[in-house]
Amino acid sequence: MATSFKQIEENLKNEARKLLEDQKVSLVLAYGRGYDENHPVPFVAKIAADVENIVFNEYCTANMARYLVRYPRGTKMAVAVKPADSRAVVQLIQEDKVKREDVILLGIPVIGMKNSKTGEVIDSKTTCGLYNPVLYDVLLGEEIHGQPVVSPYDVLAQYEAMDKDARFAFWQKEFDKCIRCYACRKACPMCYCDPCFIDQNKPKWGEKSPQSHGNLMYHLTRFHHLAGRCIDCGECSRACPVDIPLYLFHKKVARECEEMFGQAAGKSIQDKPVLVNFRVDDSDKILE
Amino acid sequence: MSFEPKILGIACNWCTYTGADLAGTTRLQYPQNLRVVRVMCSSRINPSFIFRAFQLGADGVLVGGCHPGDCHYNTGNLYARRRLAVTKKILEFSGMEPGRFRVEWISASEGNKFAEVVTEFTEQIKNLGPQTKFKIVK
Ligand code: SF4
Ligand code: SF4
Ligand code: FES
Repeated sequence: MATSFKQIEENLKNEARKLLEDQKVSLVLAYGRGYDENHPVPFVAKIAADVENIVFNEYCTANMARYLVRYPRGTKMAVAVKPADSRAVVQLIQEDKVKREDVILLGIPVIGMKNSKTGEVIDSKTTCGLYNPVLYDVLLGEEIHGQPVVSPYDVLAQYEAMDKDARFAFWQKEFDKCIRCYACRKACPMCYCDPCFIDQNKPKWGEKSPQSHGNLMYHLTRFHHLAGRCIDCGECSRACPVDIPLYLFHKKVARECEEMFGQAAGKSIQDKPVLVNFRVDDSDKILE
Repeated sequence: MSFEPKILGIACNWCTYTGADLAGTTRLQYPQNLRVVRVMCSSRINPSFIFRAFQLGADGVLVGGCHPGDCHYNTGNLYARRRLAVTKKILEFSGMEPGRFRVEWISASEGNKFAEVVTEFTEQIKNLGPQTKFKIVK
């Protein structure tokens, strides 16, 4: 049985209070109340009194690992992580963006998170589909077992079946909707570059106004930069105001990387990100 | 008029570019559709170069590097191999014809391989016809 959201919220508050009172951390990254129940917002508790404002419910989809890189190195932080979010922390540790000893992961096993825009349940179609965090220091609910195992890549079949022209038309239509608000990169825990390549002027990699070729350049390059690093939280797609299914492309690249290099992103802090690594016996077949 | 494709070649200084030189000095014939840009190593190639080349009107992109194990910087092409494999998959999933992008390992002594690869690749691009998907229309 999964622990109830109310109970998780209680446990989260208690842990956060303890950590802040004992000065084990200087901040706790969690969720706070938004304008209504269905729209909780990212929230940072810095003193014990802040803890009262923490909430947790099925709409707390934001990936709080996103905020770890905003604080100076060495800041002691605790972060509330759902399964995919814990993978983001692992990936950030692999990339030496945060140190393992500087973060305390408050793990949350979950089932039945919901998209606050549509009310739909979030499952392996739009996220990595795990139920338990891959890394945690404290677990705020009971581990979830006995759920059917569904591959997060199943959803790709229908797009892979399209012929290339249909696929190009599909993506062109999607990318043409993009208004270049950059909510996708803001929501993404792995998008921490400053400046982002698309904001550079010398060289200017692509048009900055929302025109179709600039959009194509932005998205293809972003997919590339996230290759082997995207942990499939699906937050980019949920953040997108025009509902571009970015997660599909990210899943596709993730699957290819997993097949070619035998490693999925954010699973173990011992791993090295696949694109800053190689094996002498990598096959030339991958280039075919 | 027959279609004469524009092909961007990106060749590493130490092997493929030198191989191209050898093809030249031994007077080997190959199609003139390839425009070669020299980089110091295949790992210098930012995947965005490739996306950008297609946007700016390339019909095909050919990348050349040293054979794995022979890179002047020891491991550059081993990183490049992984990276460019991902580039290839991204192009493919976006709907681009996969045949428009190719990576070949050509050493400094393989002038004939250089000429063969260019001939064959040019032929392939001719068959695919003009690249219109990424090309920016003004
Ligand atoms: S690219 Fe999207 S799904 Fe992947 S880690 Fe970033 S926000 Fe999550
Ligand atoms: S969030 Fe959506 S609209 Fe905004 S830049 Fe990203 S893809 Fe484009
Ligand atoms: S120098 Fe030729 S591939 Fe590195």
